[in-house]
Amino acid sequence: MQRAAHTALYDWSQIVGPATIRQCLKCKAPARQSSRAYGVIPAPRDTDEREMLHRILRVDHAGEYGANRIYAGQMAVLGRSRTGPLIQEMWDQEKKHLEKFNEILAENRVRPTALLPLWNIAGFVLGASTALLGKEGAMACTVAVEESISEHYNSQIRALMEKDPERYTELLQIIKEFRDDEMDHHDTGLEHDAETLPGYWLLKNAIQLGCKAAIYVSQRV
Amino acid sequence: MAALLRGLRAGRAIRGLGSVVAAPTATTPQCRSLRRSFHCAALRLQDESKSDKPPSSSSTTYHEHYQAHTTEQYTTAASQGDSASDPAAEEASRPNTSYQDQSGEQGEEYETEEQLQARILTAALEFVPQHGWSMEAIAAGAETLGLSSASTGMFYNGAGDLVLHFIAQCNSQLTEILAEQHKQVQLGQAEPKKTADFLRDAVETRLRMYIPYIETWPQAMSILLLPHNIPDSLKHLSTLVDDIWYYAGDRSTDVSGSYHPRSPSSTAHTFLSPSHHHPHDIRPATIQMNWYTKRAALTGIYNTTELVMVQDSSPDFQDTWNFLDNRIQDVVNMASTAKQVQSTGEAVVQGLMGAAVTLKNLTGVNQRR
Repeated sequence: MQRAAHTALYDWSQIVGPATIRQCLKCKAPARQSSRAYGVIPAPRDTDEREMLHRILRVDHAGEYGANRIYAGQMAVLGRSRTGPLIQEMWDQEKKHLEKFNEILAENRVRPTALLPLWNIAGFVLGASTALLGKEGAMACTVAVEESISEHYNSQIRALMEKDPERYTELLQIIKEFRDDEMDHHDTGLEHDAETLPGYWLLKNAIQLGCKAAIYVSQRV
Repeated sequence: MAALLRGLRAGRAIRGLGSVVAAPTATTPQCRSLRRSFHCAALRLQDESKSDKPPSSSSTTYHEHYQAHTTEQYTTAASQGDSASDPAAEEASRPNTSYQDQSGEQGEEYETEEQLQARILTAALEFVPQHGWSMEAIAAGAETLGLSSASTGMFYNGAGDLVLHFIAQCNSQLTEILAEQHKQVQLGQAEPKKTADFLRDAVETRLRMYIPYIETWPQAMSILLLPHNIPDSLKHLSTLVDDIWYYAGDRSTDVSGSYHPRSPSSTAHTFLSPSHHHPHDIRPATIQMNWYTKRAALTGIYNTTELVMVQDSSPDFQDTWNFLDNRIQDVVNMASTAKQVQSTGEAVVQGLMGAAVTLKNLTGVNQRR
């Protein structure tokens, strides 16, 4: 294990030039300005780990941001109907998630995805247009999106557990908590007649495909 | 485990022998890599473990062992090479204790290749006013360290390496200065600066590091524009700008009303930060991209000021600093104008909504029948 790590270090130092190494090191040198004694993510040991963690945080942040905008779109249409309070409640939970990720990104100097304006518009449009299909439409959209997000969080949890569960305890805890919230939203959507929507299967798969594409792109851009 | 290592060593020896046979047809890059790893072998003696190195570079130490007899340049190092080959074989069985961190020395007298390169380049900086940003400066620097001027063969990128090293050095100096200032502020020993002043001071400090080399700086800038240097120089630039904004207190993540941690200077950073009218609503798309726009603006300011500086002939570059002040002022104005436009827009929208509701009331559309 140690040898593998050292091989990785050596290979890495062969690929990255000396100046860049120094730069990267110096980047990590300024003290983490956290008022807490420990941070949510551990200080990365090398660029690979840093890249991986930043990618995870970036896509999660983008996901929560998109979810927020979807609920905002749904509220814009259905805000004054009977399902308004329900959607508002789910939206408030998403807002808390987003705040948490904003905190983490700021603390760890993670670059947010450049596509945020796109997710802003796309999310709102998706939420509003499915809400125009009525309450069932909004619930179907919620079910589809929350299912995608839960799957995504699950695969992240799996990846982190495979690497090193103790090292990433706090991050795993946060992702698990959020995943549980998203599953609750998913179940709420199902309870409120999401499946009675005509064309439910089509809409659900289309939305999930879009979510997968969004996740893929947000990890990289 | 030991049997595996013995097998590896035997494999390396055979490969080394095979490569010696092919040696006369070696191409220049191969010679360079030989020289490079030869330096490594010459410098790293017993404690450095080679067991984790990829096989190719280990086989080249066997190259040197045979090649040393034929090349005259490394006569002094050749004797080291002879003795290095056996320890090199022995090292494979030693546990790896030396890769404790990338910055290398942990109570050891031997340094990594990167550190050696860094030392040579730092020494070479003295000769830049005389030789410009070139291999001659690097060779002169190597000579002051007691190395042969042929060690410039280590630097594939030549002058580019020198310029990039200098830039990285300046960036880390700036980061140290900014970290120190930040600590002072957090200890309460200094007043937090307003964002515009902070940026101005940071950029000025950074550009002042170029003053000793200002005569040759245009040459350095043109070297940085060479296609193979562009990725590295852009990376350094983006790290620089990110660091400056980080210490200026930027904690934006592109969403307004985002949580601003207890930075003491957070109240002073009103320009380019989202307004706090609606702390819990998410802003429309126009105000997003805060993270990116701030960095883009600072990059623009920095680059243009650098260009002004290289052709500035006023005493102590006063014109440059005035230019810098004006550019920062421009950005501040633009940011506050943008904010004003946005709040005006919101007010207009509310007015229109009110007018629409009034019309609906007047025409009786709102009444239930």
